[in-house]
Amino acid sequence: MSFDEGTNCLAGLSNGIRGMKQPIEDGDHEFVSLCKKGDVEAFEVLVKKHQKAMFNIAYRMLGSYDEASDVVQDAFISAYRGIKGFKGRAKFSTWLYAIVMNLSKNRLKQLRTKVHHEKYSIDNPMPMDEGRAHGEPASGEPSALERLEKKDIQQKVQDCIGSLDEEFREVLVLRDIQGFSYDEIGDVLKVPEGTVKSRLFRARETVRDCLKMLMGDLYHAVQ
Amino acid sequence: MQCSDVREKLSAYLEGIVSAEEKPLIDEHLKVCERCSESLADLKKALELVRNLEEVEPPPWMTQKVMARVRSETEVKRGILQKIFYPLHIKLPIEALAVIFVALMSVHVYRTMQPEMKLIEAPLEEAKLRALSEEKEEIPAADKGKPTGQFLVAEKRAKHRAEYRAPAKAMKPEPAAPSAGAVVRDELEAKAPPSKLRLARVGRGREGISLTVNVKAIEAASEEIEEALVQLGGKIIKKEHSQDKSLITAELDSERVEKLSEKLRSIGELKEKAPAYEAREGTMKVNIRIEIIKTAPHP
Repeated sequence: MSFDEGTNCLAGLSNGIRGMKQPIEDGDHEFVSLCKKGDVEAFEVLVKKHQKAMFNIAYRMLGSYDEASDVVQDAFISAYRGIKGFKGRAKFSTWLYAIVMNLSKNRLKQLRTKVHHEKYSIDNPMPMDEGRAHGEPASGEPSALERLEKKDIQQKVQDCIGSLDEEFREVLVLRDIQGFSYDEIGDVLKVPEGTVKSRLFRARETVRDCLKMLMGDLYHAVQ
Repeated sequence: MQCSDVREKLSAYLEGIVSAEEKPLIDEHLKVCERCSESLADLKKALELVRNLEEVEPPPWMTQKVMARVRSETEVKRGILQKIFYPLHIKLPIEALAVIFVALMSVHVYRTMQPEMKLIEAPLEEAKLRALSEEKEEIPAADKGKPTGQFLVAEKRAKHRAEYRAPAKAMKPEPAAPSAGAVVRDELEAKAPPSKLRLARVGRGREGISLTVNVKAIEAASEEIEEALVQLGGKIIKKEHSQDKSLITAELDSERVEKLSEKLRSIGELKEKAPAYEAREGTMKVNIRIEIIKTAPHP
Protein backbone atom coordinates (compact mmCIF):
# COMPACT_ATOMS: atom_id res chain seq x y z
CA MET A 1 0.00 0.00 0.00
CA SER A 2 1.42 3.31 -0.99
CA PHE A 3 0.90 5.08 2.24
CA ASP A 4 2.25 8.39 1.04
CA GLU A 5 -0.15 8.57 -1.88
CA GLY A 6 -3.02 8.35 0.53
CA THR A 7 -1.62 10.80 3.03
CA ASN A 8 -0.81 13.32 0.33
CA CYS A 9 -4.52 13.70 -0.25
CA LEU A 10 -5.07 14.85 3.31
CA ALA A 11 -4.25 18.49 2.80
CA GLY A 12 -6.52 18.69 -0.20
CA LEU A 13 -9.23 16.81 1.59
CA SER A 14 -9.17 18.98 4.64
CA ASN A 15 -9.20 22.19 2.66
CA GLY A 16 -10.91 21.31 -0.55
CA ILE A 17 -14.08 19.61 0.58
CA ARG A 18 -16.82 21.53 -1.09
CA GLY A 19 -20.15 22.86 -0.12
CA MET A 20 -19.24 23.75 3.44
CA LYS A 21 -20.56 27.27 3.53
CA GLN A 22 -21.89 27.08 7.03
CA PRO A 23 -20.43 25.74 10.26
CA ILE A 24 -21.11 22.04 10.44
CA GLU A 25 -22.51 20.29 13.42
CA ASP A 26 -20.14 17.47 14.02
CA GLY A 27 -20.59 15.05 16.88
CA ASP A 28 -16.89 14.31 16.71
CA HIS A 29 -15.82 17.91 17.17
CA GLU A 30 -14.97 17.59 20.86
CA PHE A 31 -12.85 14.50 20.39
CA VAL A 32 -11.17 15.96 17.34
CA SER A 33 -10.20 19.04 19.38
CA LEU A 34 -8.75 16.82 22.09
CA CYS A 35 -6.83 14.84 19.48
CA LYS A 36 -5.34 18.02 18.14
CA LYS A 37 -4.01 18.67 21.63
CA GLY A 38 -2.38 15.26 21.62
CA ASP A 39 -5.04 13.29 23.50
CA VAL A 40 -4.54 9.74 22.29
CA GLU A 41 -7.52 8.44 24.25
CA ALA A 42 -9.82 10.80 22.36
CA PHE A 43 -8.52 9.38 19.12
CA GLU A 44 -9.32 5.90 20.36
CA VAL A 45 -12.93 6.97 20.82
CA LEU A 46 -13.02 8.11 17.20
CA VAL A 47 -11.43 4.88 16.03
CA LYS A 48 -14.02 2.80 17.83
CA LYS A 49 -16.83 4.93 16.50
CA HIS A 50 -15.85 4.93 12.84
CA GLN A 51 -13.92 1.76 12.30
CA LYS A 52 -16.93 -0.27 11.17
CA ALA A 53 -18.01 2.15 8.49
CA MET A 54 -14.39 2.61 7.45
CA PHE A 55 -13.90 -1.12 7.24
CA ASN A 56 -17.07 -1.69 5.21
CA ILE A 57 -16.14 0.99 2.72
CA ALA A 58 -12.69 -0.52 2.31
CA TYR A 59 -14.05 -4.05 2.14
CA ARG A 60 -16.63 -3.20 -0.52
CA MET A 61 -14.05 -1.35 -2.52
CA LEU A 62 -11.38 -4.02 -2.27
CA GLY A 63 -13.40 -7.19 -1.83
CA SER A 64 -10.77 -8.59 0.53
CA TYR A 65 -11.01 -8.77 4.27
CA ASP A 66 -7.24 -8.67 4.85
CA GLU A 67 -6.63 -5.84 2.40
CA ALA A 68 -9.46 -3.88 3.98
CA SER A 69 -7.93 -4.39 7.44
CA ASP A 70 -4.58 -3.02 6.29
CA VAL A 71 -6.12 -0.07 4.50
CA VAL A 72 -8.28 0.92 7.47
CA GLN A 73 -5.31 0.82 9.83
CA ASP A 74 -3.30 2.96 7.46
CA ALA A 75 -6.22 5.34 7.09
CA PHE A 76 -6.50 5.84 10.84
CA ILE A 77 -2.77 6.39 11.21
CA SER A 78 -2.88 8.81 8.34
CA ALA A 79 -5.79 10.62 9.96
CA TYR A 80 -3.96 10.83 13.28
CA ARG A 81 -0.92 12.34 11.62
CA GLY A 82 -2.98 14.85 9.71
CA ILE A 83 -5.61 15.69 12.27
CA LYS A 84 -3.99 19.02 13.12
CA GLY A 85 -4.52 20.02 9.52
CA PHE A 86 -8.22 19.17 9.68
CA LYS A 87 -9.99 22.52 9.51
CA GLY A 88 -13.48 21.32 10.35
CA ARG A 89 -15.02 22.60 7.13
CA ALA A 90 -16.61 19.17 6.69
CA LYS A 91 -17.61 16.50 9.13
CA PHE A 92 -14.76 14.56 10.59
CA SER A 93 -16.39 11.34 9.36
CA THR A 94 -16.51 12.71 5.80
CA TRP A 95 -12.84 13.57 6.03
CA LEU A 96 -12.10 10.14 7.44
CA TYR A 97 -14.08 8.30 4.74
CA ALA A 98 -12.32 10.31 2.08
CA ILE A 99 -9.01 9.08 3.44
CA VAL A 100 -10.06 5.46 3.46
CA MET A 101 -11.57 5.79 -0.02
CA ASN A 102 -8.37 7.25 -1.41
CA LEU A 103 -6.21 4.60 0.24
CA SER A 104 -8.56 1.92 -1.07
CA LYS A 105 -8.31 3.20 -4.62
CA ASN A 106 -4.53 3.39 -4.37
CA ARG A 107 -4.48 -0.17 -3.13
CA LEU A 108 -6.70 -1.26 -5.99
CA LYS A 109 -4.31 0.22 -8.50
CA GLN A 110 -1.44 -1.65 -6.92
CA LEU A 111 -3.35 -4.89 -6.91
CA ARG A 112 -4.40 -4.44 -10.51
CA THR A 113 -0.82 -4.15 -11.63
CA LYS A 114 -0.06 -7.43 -9.86
CA VAL A 115 -3.00 -9.54 -10.84
CA HIS A 116 -5.23 -8.98 -13.82
CA HIS A 117 -8.27 -10.37 -12.21
CA GLU A 118 -11.23 -9.89 -14.51
CA LYS A 119 -13.07 -13.00 -13.64
CA TYR A 120 -16.48 -11.41 -13.50
CA SER A 121 -15.92 -8.38 -15.62
CA ILE A 122 -18.82 -7.13 -17.68
CA ASP A 123 -16.65 -7.16 -20.80
CA ASN A 124 -15.48 -10.69 -20.11
CA PRO A 125 -18.32 -12.48 -18.37
CA MET A 126 -17.88 -15.79 -16.70
CA PRO A 127 -18.75 -18.83 -18.80
CA MET A 128 -22.41 -19.60 -18.64
CA ASP A 129 -24.18 -22.86 -19.14
CA GLU A 130 -27.42 -22.30 -21.07
CA GLY A 131 -28.00 -19.02 -19.43
CA ARG A 132 -27.44 -20.34 -15.92
CA ALA A 133 -24.64 -19.68 -13.65
CA HIS A 134 -22.28 -22.44 -12.64
CA GLY A 135 -23.66 -24.61 -9.93
CA GLU A 136 -27.20 -24.56 -11.13
CA PRO A 137 -28.70 -27.73 -9.68
CA ALA A 138 -30.32 -30.41 -11.74
CA SER A 139 -34.04 -30.93 -11.44
CA GLY A 140 -35.15 -33.14 -8.61
CA GLU A 141 -32.49 -31.87 -6.22
CA PRO A 142 -33.27 -29.38 -3.43
CA SER A 143 -34.59 -26.11 -4.77
CA ALA A 144 -32.17 -23.52 -5.98
CA LEU A 145 -33.56 -21.01 -3.55
CA GLU A 146 -32.80 -23.34 -0.70
CA ARG A 147 -29.34 -24.13 -1.89
CA LEU A 148 -28.36 -20.66 -2.80
CA GLU A 149 -27.59 -19.45 0.55
CA LYS A 150 -27.62 -15.91 1.53
CA LYS A 151 -23.86 -15.87 1.77
CA ASP A 152 -23.49 -16.96 -1.81
CA ILE A 153 -25.87 -14.29 -3.02
CA GLN A 154 -23.96 -11.70 -1.11
CA GLN A 155 -20.70 -12.92 -2.58
CA LYS A 156 -22.12 -12.58 -6.06
CA VAL A 157 -23.31 -9.07 -5.33
CA GLN A 158 -19.84 -8.25 -4.06
CA ASP A 159 -18.32 -9.74 -7.18
CA CYS A 160 -20.54 -7.59 -9.33
CA ILE A 161 -19.58 -4.50 -7.36
CA GLY A 162 -15.96 -5.51 -7.77
CA SER A 163 -16.39 -5.69 -11.50
CA LEU A 164 -17.20 -1.97 -11.67
CA ASP A 165 -14.63 0.59 -12.52
CA GLU A 166 -13.41 2.56 -9.50
CA GLU A 167 -15.29 5.74 -10.28
CA PHE A 168 -18.60 3.80 -10.48
CA ARG A 169 -17.80 1.50 -7.61
CA GLU A 170 -17.07 4.30 -5.18
CA VAL A 171 -20.35 6.10 -5.74
CA LEU A 172 -22.33 2.85 -5.45
CA VAL A 173 -20.56 1.95 -2.21
CA LEU A 174 -21.06 5.37 -0.68
CA ARG A 175 -24.65 5.83 -1.79
CA ASP A 176 -26.29 2.38 -1.82
CA ILE A 177 -24.22 0.63 0.85
CA GLN A 178 -23.22 3.43 3.20
CA GLY A 179 -26.28 5.57 2.53
CA PHE A 180 -24.44 8.86 2.06
CA SER A 181 -26.28 11.81 0.59
CA TYR A 182 -25.28 13.08 -2.83
CA ASP A 183 -23.83 16.13 -1.14
CA GLU A 184 -21.65 14.04 1.15
CA ILE A 185 -20.51 11.87 -1.73
CA GLY A 186 -19.57 15.01 -3.63
CA ASP A 187 -17.54 16.14 -0.61
CA VAL A 188 -15.76 12.85 -0.21
CA LEU A 189 -14.99 12.34 -3.88
CA LYS A 190 -14.67 16.00 -4.77
CA VAL A 191 -16.93 15.69 -7.81
CA PRO A 192 -20.12 17.59 -8.67
CA GLU A 193 -23.45 16.20 -7.61
CA GLY A 194 -24.56 15.70 -11.22
CA THR A 195 -21.51 13.58 -11.87
CA VAL A 196 -22.24 11.55 -8.77
CA LYS A 197 -25.78 10.81 -9.98
CA SER A 198 -24.84 9.89 -13.50
CA ARG A 199 -22.10 7.58 -12.26
CA LEU A 200 -24.43 6.04 -9.71
CA PHE A 201 -27.19 5.31 -12.24
CA ARG A 202 -24.68 3.79 -14.59
CA ALA A 203 -23.22 1.69 -11.79
CA ARG A 204 -26.64 0.38 -10.78
CA GLU A 205 -27.47 -0.66 -14.33
CA THR A 206 -24.16 -2.46 -14.60
CA VAL A 207 -24.69 -4.28 -11.32
CA ARG A 208 -28.23 -5.21 -12.38
CA ASP A 209 -26.98 -6.72 -15.62
CA CYS A 210 -24.13 -8.46 -13.79
CA LEU A 211 -26.45 -10.02 -11.23
CA LYS A 212 -28.93 -11.13 -13.85
CA MET A 213 -26.11 -12.75 -15.70
CA LEU A 214 -24.65 -14.46 -12.63
CA MET A 215 -27.86 -15.61 -11.06
CA GLY A 216 -30.03 -16.29 -14.07
CA ASP A 217 -33.59 -17.17 -13.20
CA LEU A 218 -32.70 -17.22 -9.53
CA TYR A 219 -32.42 -13.48 -9.77
CA HIS A 220 -36.17 -13.14 -9.81
CA ALA A 221 -36.63 -15.88 -7.23
CA VAL A 222 -34.60 -14.13 -4.57
CA GLN A 223 -36.84 -12.42 -2.09
CA MET B 1 -41.48 8.94 -24.35
CA GLN B 2 -39.16 6.36 -25.92
CA CYS B 3 -37.94 3.21 -24.09
CA SER B 4 -34.32 4.41 -24.15
CA ASP B 5 -35.28 7.73 -22.53
CA VAL B 6 -37.27 5.94 -19.85
CA ARG B 7 -34.53 3.39 -19.04
CA GLU B 8 -31.99 6.19 -18.61
CA LYS B 9 -34.19 7.70 -15.94
CA LEU B 10 -35.21 4.53 -14.15
CA SER B 11 -32.60 4.91 -11.40
CA ALA B 12 -33.68 8.48 -10.70
CA TYR B 13 -37.31 7.38 -10.92
CA LEU B 14 -36.65 4.78 -8.22
CA GLU B 15 -35.17 7.45 -5.99
CA GLY B 16 -38.03 9.80 -6.74
CA ILE B 17 -35.80 12.54 -8.05
CA VAL B 18 -37.23 12.89 -11.55
CA SER B 19 -38.90 16.17 -12.42
CA ALA B 20 -42.62 16.67 -11.95
CA GLU B 21 -43.08 16.85 -15.74
CA GLU B 22 -41.17 13.63 -16.40
CA LYS B 23 -42.79 11.47 -13.70
CA PRO B 24 -46.33 11.14 -15.29
CA LEU B 25 -44.75 10.47 -18.65
CA ILE B 26 -42.62 7.65 -17.24
CA ASP B 27 -45.59 6.26 -15.32
CA GLU B 28 -47.65 6.13 -18.50
CA HIS B 29 -44.85 4.46 -20.42
CA LEU B 30 -44.27 1.79 -17.77
CA LYS B 31 -47.96 0.87 -17.86
CA VAL B 32 -47.83 0.06 -21.53
CA CYS B 33 -44.18 -1.14 -21.93
CA GLU B 34 -43.52 -4.58 -20.46
CA ARG B 35 -39.73 -4.50 -21.17
CA CYS B 36 -39.25 -1.21 -19.41
CA SER B 37 -41.35 -2.43 -16.48
CA GLU B 38 -39.23 -5.56 -16.28
CA SER B 39 -36.09 -3.46 -16.46
CA LEU B 40 -37.36 -1.36 -13.59
CA ALA B 41 -38.14 -4.48 -11.56
CA ASP B 42 -34.64 -5.84 -12.22
CA LEU B 43 -33.08 -2.58 -11.18
CA LYS B 44 -35.17 -2.53 -8.03
CA LYS B 45 -34.08 -6.08 -7.24
CA ALA B 46 -30.39 -5.28 -7.84
CA LEU B 47 -30.63 -2.23 -5.66
CA GLU B 48 -32.34 -4.27 -2.99
CA LEU B 49 -29.56 -6.87 -3.09
CA VAL B 50 -26.89 -4.25 -2.85
CA ARG B 51 -28.58 -2.43 -0.01
CA ASN B 52 -29.16 -5.69 1.81
CA LEU B 53 -25.50 -6.53 1.84
CA GLU B 54 -24.65 -7.37 5.39
CA GLU B 55 -22.28 -5.14 7.23
CA VAL B 56 -18.94 -6.76 7.72
CA GLU B 57 -17.51 -6.63 11.20
CA PRO B 58 -13.94 -5.36 11.35
CA PRO B 59 -11.42 -7.61 13.04
CA PRO B 60 -11.71 -7.42 16.85
CA TRP B 61 -8.09 -6.39 17.14
CA MET B 62 -8.53 -3.40 14.83
CA THR B 63 -8.82 -0.71 17.52
CA GLN B 64 -6.02 -2.23 19.56
CA LYS B 65 -3.69 -2.43 16.59
CA VAL B 66 -4.46 1.06 15.38
CA MET B 67 -3.95 2.52 18.84
CA ALA B 68 -0.73 0.59 19.34
CA ARG B 69 0.60 2.15 16.16
CA VAL B 70 -0.65 5.58 17.19
CA ARG B 71 0.98 5.30 20.62
CA SER B 72 4.26 4.06 19.21
CA GLU B 73 4.27 7.00 16.81
CA THR B 74 3.53 9.40 19.62
CA GLU B 75 6.35 7.96 21.71
CA VAL B 76 8.79 8.20 18.83
CA LYS B 77 7.70 11.76 18.23
CA ARG B 78 8.07 12.62 21.90
CA GLY B 79 11.43 10.88 21.99
CA ILE B 80 12.72 12.95 19.12
CA LEU B 81 11.31 16.14 20.59
CA GLN B 82 12.83 15.34 23.97
CA LYS B 83 16.19 14.73 22.38
CA ILE B 84 15.98 18.01 20.51
CA PHE B 85 14.66 20.12 23.35
CA TYR B 86 16.22 18.33 26.30
CA PRO B 87 18.96 20.95 26.63
CA LEU B 88 16.25 23.55 27.15
CA HIS B 89 15.45 21.96 30.50
CA ILE B 90 18.97 22.71 31.68
CA LYS B 91 19.42 25.83 29.65
CA LEU B 92 20.33 28.07 32.54
CA PRO B 93 22.87 25.69 34.09
CA ILE B 94 24.48 25.29 30.69
CA GLU B 95 24.73 29.04 30.32
CA ALA B 96 26.12 29.37 33.81
CA LEU B 97 28.65 26.65 33.10
CA ALA B 98 29.54 28.37 29.86
CA VAL B 99 30.17 31.66 31.68
CA ILE B 100 32.31 29.93 34.30
CA PHE B 101 34.20 28.10 31.61
CA VAL B 102 34.87 31.27 29.66
CA ALA B 103 35.99 33.05 32.83
CA LEU B 104 38.36 30.24 33.76
CA MET B 105 39.73 30.10 30.25
CA SER B 106 40.27 33.87 30.26
CA VAL B 107 42.22 33.68 33.52
CA HIS B 108 44.20 30.75 32.24
CA VAL B 109 45.03 32.48 28.97
CA TYR B 110 45.93 35.68 30.79
CA ARG B 111 48.21 33.87 33.17
CA THR B 112 49.79 31.97 30.36
CA MET B 113 50.31 35.00 28.19
CA GLN B 114 51.49 37.40 30.91
CA PRO B 115 55.00 36.01 31.38
CA GLU B 116 55.48 35.95 27.63
CA MET B 117 54.55 39.60 27.46
CA LYS B 118 56.97 40.36 30.23
CA LEU B 119 59.67 38.43 28.46
CA ILE B 120 59.52 41.00 25.71
CA GLU B 121 60.63 43.73 28.06
CA ALA B 122 62.65 41.42 30.19
CA PRO B 123 65.99 41.77 28.39
CA LEU B 124 66.15 45.53 28.95
CA GLU B 125 64.86 45.42 32.48
CA GLU B 126 66.87 42.41 33.38
CA ALA B 127 70.08 43.98 32.17
CA LYS B 128 69.53 47.02 34.30
CA LEU B 129 68.54 45.09 37.33
CA ARG B 130 71.34 42.65 36.93
CA ALA B 131 73.78 45.52 36.79
CA LEU B 132 72.20 46.94 39.88
CA SER B 133 72.47 43.61 41.58
CA GLU B 134 76.06 43.23 40.65
CA GLU B 135 76.73 46.63 42.01
CA LYS B 136 76.12 45.12 45.39
CA GLU B 137 78.02 42.02 44.59
CA GLU B 138 81.04 44.11 43.96
CA ILE B 139 81.72 43.90 47.61
CA PRO B 140 85.33 43.02 48.24
CA ALA B 141 86.18 39.40 48.47
CA ALA B 142 86.78 39.75 52.16
CA ASP B 143 83.14 40.69 52.68
CA LYS B 144 81.59 38.05 50.53
CA GLY B 145 81.65 35.31 53.05
CA LYS B 146 80.01 37.44 55.66
CA PRO B 147 76.32 37.39 56.34
CA THR B 148 75.58 41.06 55.82
CA GLY B 149 76.89 41.21 52.26
CA GLN B 150 75.19 38.00 51.34
CA PHE B 151 71.97 39.27 52.78
CA LEU B 152 71.99 42.30 50.53
CA VAL B 153 72.54 40.27 47.41
CA ALA B 154 70.05 37.64 48.41
CA GLU B 155 67.49 40.29 49.19
CA LYS B 156 67.95 41.83 45.79
CA ARG B 157 67.59 38.54 44.04
CA ALA B 158 64.51 37.68 45.99
CA LYS B 159 62.96 40.93 44.86
CA HIS B 160 63.84 40.22 41.28
CA ARG B 161 62.29 36.83 41.54
CA ALA B 162 59.14 38.26 42.98
CA GLU B 163 58.92 40.75 40.17
CA TYR B 164 59.68 38.62 37.23
CA ARG B 165 58.82 35.14 38.39
CA ALA B 166 60.02 31.95 36.89
CA PRO B 167 59.75 32.56 33.10
CA ALA B 168 61.87 35.67 33.24
CA LYS B 169 64.30 33.86 35.40
CA ALA B 170 64.36 30.93 33.05
CA MET B 171 65.12 33.14 30.15
CA LYS B 172 68.01 34.85 31.87
CA PRO B 173 69.48 32.88 34.69
CA GLU B 174 70.91 34.94 37.44
CA PRO B 175 74.63 34.97 37.75
CA ALA B 176 75.75 32.31 40.13
CA ALA B 177 78.48 34.47 41.57
CA PRO B 178 80.06 37.78 40.88
CA SER B 179 82.65 37.52 38.22
CA ALA B 180 85.26 39.70 36.63
CA GLY B 181 82.73 40.68 34.02
CA ALA B 182 80.56 42.10 36.75
CA VAL B 183 83.08 44.82 37.39
CA VAL B 184 83.01 45.85 33.77
CA ARG B 185 79.26 45.96 33.81
CA ASP B 186 79.41 47.93 37.03
CA GLU B 187 81.62 50.49 35.44
CA LEU B 188 79.30 50.83 32.52
CA GLU B 189 76.44 51.23 34.89
CA ALA B 190 78.35 53.82 36.90
CA LYS B 191 78.88 55.88 33.78
CA ALA B 192 75.23 55.90 32.99
CA PRO B 193 73.28 58.51 34.90
CA PRO B 194 70.81 57.09 37.37
CA SER B 195 67.66 56.82 35.40
CA LYS B 196 64.24 57.39 36.73
CA LEU B 197 63.35 53.85 35.87
CA ARG B 198 66.21 52.52 37.85
CA LEU B 199 65.39 54.59 40.90
CA ALA B 200 61.81 53.65 40.73
CA ARG B 201 62.68 50.04 40.42
CA VAL B 202 65.21 50.14 43.22
CA GLY B 203 62.98 52.37 45.27
CA ARG B 204 60.89 49.37 46.06
CA GLY B 205 63.97 47.93 47.70
CA ARG B 206 67.24 49.57 48.56
CA GLU B 207 69.54 51.61 46.39
CA GLY B 208 73.24 50.93 46.66
CA ILE B 209 75.88 53.64 46.44
CA SER B 210 79.57 53.13 46.53
CA LEU B 211 81.71 56.10 47.46
CA THR B 212 85.46 56.37 47.84
CA VAL B 213 87.05 58.98 50.01
CA ASN B 214 90.76 59.64 50.06
CA VAL B 215 91.94 60.84 53.43
CA LYS B 216 95.21 61.37 55.24
CA ALA B 217 94.22 59.79 58.50
CA ILE B 218 91.97 56.80 58.15
CA GLU B 219 90.98 56.37 61.74
CA ALA B 220 90.05 59.99 62.29
CA ALA B 221 88.22 60.16 59.03
CA SER B 222 86.33 56.97 59.82
CA GLU B 223 85.22 58.35 63.12
CA GLU B 224 84.10 61.58 61.47
CA ILE B 225 82.19 59.74 58.79
CA GLU B 226 80.53 57.46 61.33
CA GLU B 227 79.55 60.49 63.34
CA ALA B 228 78.17 62.19 60.25
CA LEU B 229 76.15 59.11 59.36
CA VAL B 230 74.66 58.99 62.82
CA GLN B 231 73.86 62.69 62.67
CA LEU B 232 72.11 62.22 59.35
CA GLY B 233 70.02 59.47 60.84
CA GLY B 234 71.88 56.69 59.09
CA LYS B 235 72.47 53.26 60.41
CA ILE B 236 75.92 51.78 60.34
CA ILE B 237 75.75 48.20 59.29
CA LYS B 238 79.35 47.25 59.12
CA LYS B 239 82.76 48.67 59.74
CA GLU B 240 86.02 47.22 58.57
CA HIS B 241 89.45 48.58 59.15
CA SER B 242 92.78 47.68 57.74
CA GLN B 243 96.10 49.39 57.68
CA ASP B 244 95.51 51.80 54.84
CA LYS B 245 91.87 51.20 54.07
CA SER B 246 88.63 51.35 55.92
CA LEU B 247 85.14 50.35 54.77
CA ILE B 248 81.88 51.50 56.22
CA THR B 249 78.60 50.09 55.07
CA ALA B 250 75.59 51.98 56.20
CA GLU B 251 71.96 52.60 55.50
CA LEU B 252 70.73 56.11 54.92
CA ASP B 253 67.68 57.94 53.71
CA SER B 254 68.08 58.83 50.07
CA GLU B 255 67.31 62.47 50.62
CA ARG B 256 70.25 62.77 52.99
CA VAL B 257 72.77 61.27 50.61
CA GLU B 258 73.57 64.72 49.26
CA LYS B 259 74.39 66.02 52.72
CA LEU B 260 76.55 63.02 53.35
CA SER B 261 78.42 63.73 50.15
CA GLU B 262 79.08 67.27 51.29
CA LYS B 263 80.31 65.99 54.61
CA LEU B 264 82.59 63.50 52.89
CA ARG B 265 84.04 66.25 50.73
CA SER B 266 84.87 68.22 53.83
CA ILE B 267 86.57 65.22 55.35
CA GLY B 268 88.55 64.15 52.33
CA GLU B 269 88.65 63.89 48.63
CA LEU B 270 85.45 62.29 47.36
CA LYS B 271 86.07 60.50 44.11
CA GLU B 272 82.54 59.63 42.96
CA LYS B 273 79.65 61.91 42.86
CA ALA B 274 76.68 60.58 44.70
CA PRO B 275 73.49 60.29 42.66
CA ALA B 276 70.96 63.02 43.12
CA TYR B 277 67.73 61.77 44.53
CA GLU B 278 64.71 63.80 43.77
CA ALA B 279 62.24 64.43 46.54
CA ARG B 280 59.27 63.40 44.37
CA GLU B 281 60.66 59.95 44.09
CA GLY B 282 59.95 59.54 47.75
CA THR B 283 62.16 58.64 50.64
CA MET B 284 63.87 55.32 50.57
CA LYS B 285 66.68 53.64 52.35
CA VAL B 286 69.95 53.58 50.50
CA ASN B 287 72.78 51.26 51.20
CA ILE B 288 75.98 53.24 51.16
CA ARG B 289 79.36 51.70 50.99
CA ILE B 290 82.03 54.17 51.84
CA GLU B 291 85.58 53.19 51.14
CA ILE B 292 88.13 55.27 53.00
CA ILE B 293 91.58 55.09 51.52
CA LYS B 294 94.66 56.60 52.94
CA THR B 295 96.41 58.91 50.54
CA ALA B 296 100.09 58.56 50.05
CA PRO B 297 102.08 61.33 51.76
CA HIS B 298 103.35 63.94 49.37
CA PRO B 299 107.03 63.86 48.80
